[in-house]
Amino acid sequence: MGELLRAEHLKKYFKTPSGVLHAVDDISFSIDSGDTLGVVGESGCGKSTLGRVILKLIEPTDGRIIFEGRDITRVTDKENIELRRKMQIIFQDPYSSLNPRMSVMDLIADPLKTFRLQSSADRRKKVFELMDMVGLSRRFASSYPHELDGGRRQRIGVARALALEPTFIVCDEPVSALDVSIQAQILNLLQDLQEQQGLTYIFVTHDLSVVKHISTDILVMYTGIMVEKCEAKELFAKPMHPYTKGLLSAIPVPNIDRVREKVALRGELTSPVEPKPECRFVARCPFATDICRREPPTYSEVLAGHFVSCHNVREINGL
Amino acid sequence: MSLLQINDLTIHYVTRGGTVKAVNGIDLSIEAGRTLGLVGETGAGKTTSALGILGLIPKPPGKIISGQILFEGADLLKASQGKMRMIRGNDISMIYQDPMTALNPILRVGDQISEVIIQHSGCSKAEAREKSEGMLETVGIRAERAADYPHQFSGGMKQRAVIAMALACNPKLLIADEPTTALDVTIQAQVLEMMRELKDELGSSMLLITHDLGIVAETCDDVAIMYAGEIVEIGALERIFHNPRHPYTLGLFGSIPSLDKDVRRLNPIPGLMPDPADLPSGCKFHARCAHACDDCGSGSTELCETERGHFVRCRRVAGGEI
Repeated sequence: MGELLRAEHLKKYFKTPSGVLHAVDDISFSIDSGDTLGVVGESGCGKSTLGRVILKLIEPTDGRIIFEGRDITRVTDKENIELRRKMQIIFQDPYSSLNPRMSVMDLIADPLKTFRLQSSADRRKKVFELMDMVGLSRRFASSYPHELDGGRRQRIGVARALALEPTFIVCDEPVSALDVSIQAQILNLLQDLQEQQGLTYIFVTHDLSVVKHISTDILVMYTGIMVEKCEAKELFAKPMHPYTKGLLSAIPVPNIDRVREKVALRGELTSPVEPKPECRFVARCPFATDICRREPPTYSEVLAGHFVSCHNVREINGL
Repeated sequence: MSLLQINDLTIHYVTRGGTVKAVNGIDLSIEAGRTLGLVGETGAGKTTSALGILGLIPKPPGKIISGQILFEGADLLKASQGKMRMIRGNDISMIYQDPMTALNPILRVGDQISEVIIQHSGCSKAEAREKSEGMLETVGIRAERAADYPHQFSGGMKQRAVIAMALACNPKLLIADEPTTALDVTIQAQVLEMMRELKDELGSSMLLITHDLGIVAETCDDVAIMYAGEIVEIGALERIFHNPRHPYTLGLFGSIPSLDKDVRRLNPIPGLMPDPADLPSGCKFHARCAHACDDCGSGSTELCETERGHFVRCRRVAGGEI
């Protein structure tokens, strides 16, 4: 299928008292219709900001966003609102993203009301359909969020996102707040909906096993920049950037027979405020050389479809 | 003799809205120098069990209905408040889940560590300061940072400081309640590595509470799986990971997306954890279990030894049917 969304050199800088924070710094990618792009990284790497910039919930500082072949970077507010019908978001925390004073019925009907799409009787019918679709029993229609557990609340979040029949959804850590058995139920739901309705996802998460499971392609972020991007399988089979290697070897795996290559990362995330002209990963990198301290690396296609941003990528991986 | 032996511990919270049966007759033991992983989902009763060991259950509404907690042979449930104060932080100490709230924001980090040392060793302030700086160095924080306040530390550093505090008096038993849940993976890996090293150096035993089977695989010697206030499966790490028997344990493994294999669809456990204020009769898991038969809904299910040192609480496994 064809390309649905493309980002070109997207940037989002925030002014802070201590300097300019480069939350998203020169990110480019494209997603084909029906695919899932996983965006992974640790807290503060800019992955959620990226998701919000794509949806125009935050204005980008620079760069272009092309959706369905049309440049949507600078559009009027009115057009922006129309775009929301096609581009939706599922939030991380099903506890704070739902208005506690609205019933499940009102919460799911809310997007329909905003766009004055249907009569109230039709809306009711539509809400019940959506509840069936996301596996939420109809008897909860008049319940309030506090009466429901996290998994059911997240199903409300999914139903709200689906109400306007969008083509594209940003899933911002939709399962991070849930227990594993419930997490698996929601992941299966998101996959089923994608297949049935041909949805396209950006799936933002810090959990690498989740992202591997659900994504077609994966983009790894580190303090605002993209360090590596390729097909999901390839990333796990052949991680090339030292950060990706470190990240992969840091995940505790529930398998006691597996012997893995360990790349231990020292130190912690460096600040994306007024970054120095060097590789942003240099302080933690076990393979750093002089050039890494002199200039930031460029982003290049090392193997077909496999992009890495590292000066020494060829030496490290013996290419 | 085990360092810690818990027999038939039952803890309920009695509230106006009903009785919350948080922990229902658990038995477990930890040998000296070993690490036991206590695994379960939200509401399984893991944290209540840990607080029970430390005598920190708020009463009311908490109520210890029955049981024994034998630490070096003495029953902690019978110990006086004063005696418990001597034990907490000294013989048994705890690492809390959230390092952001476990530290006092208006006291310097060094002083918070010194406090534990002065309380238990009765040494002078100067000695305690020296020792607390030494502890910070042990966990990888430069000694001069002892004068900082918690907000000047990153999340990973705060958790290291909390660990330094817990280890300051060389405890015999360390209880770690989801010690890395609030941290990023690369920082989590550093903290877990450090905890393993320090535990071995000090020869402490550890009770590690977690919901992450990956962390258990990398850190523990023995595993106990908890569900609705009961231990449903317990045994050595290899036994549980190579030969999990209880349907709930199998369900947990099936819910985790694998990094090694390509699984198109996950196999989650259907339904939800029962409300601990309204537990089902019979096996607590029967309503979500694919193997449940009519009998499972009534009577009580006992732990049964399926192979040496491997116990499972399931009638159908015990009967050899699954």
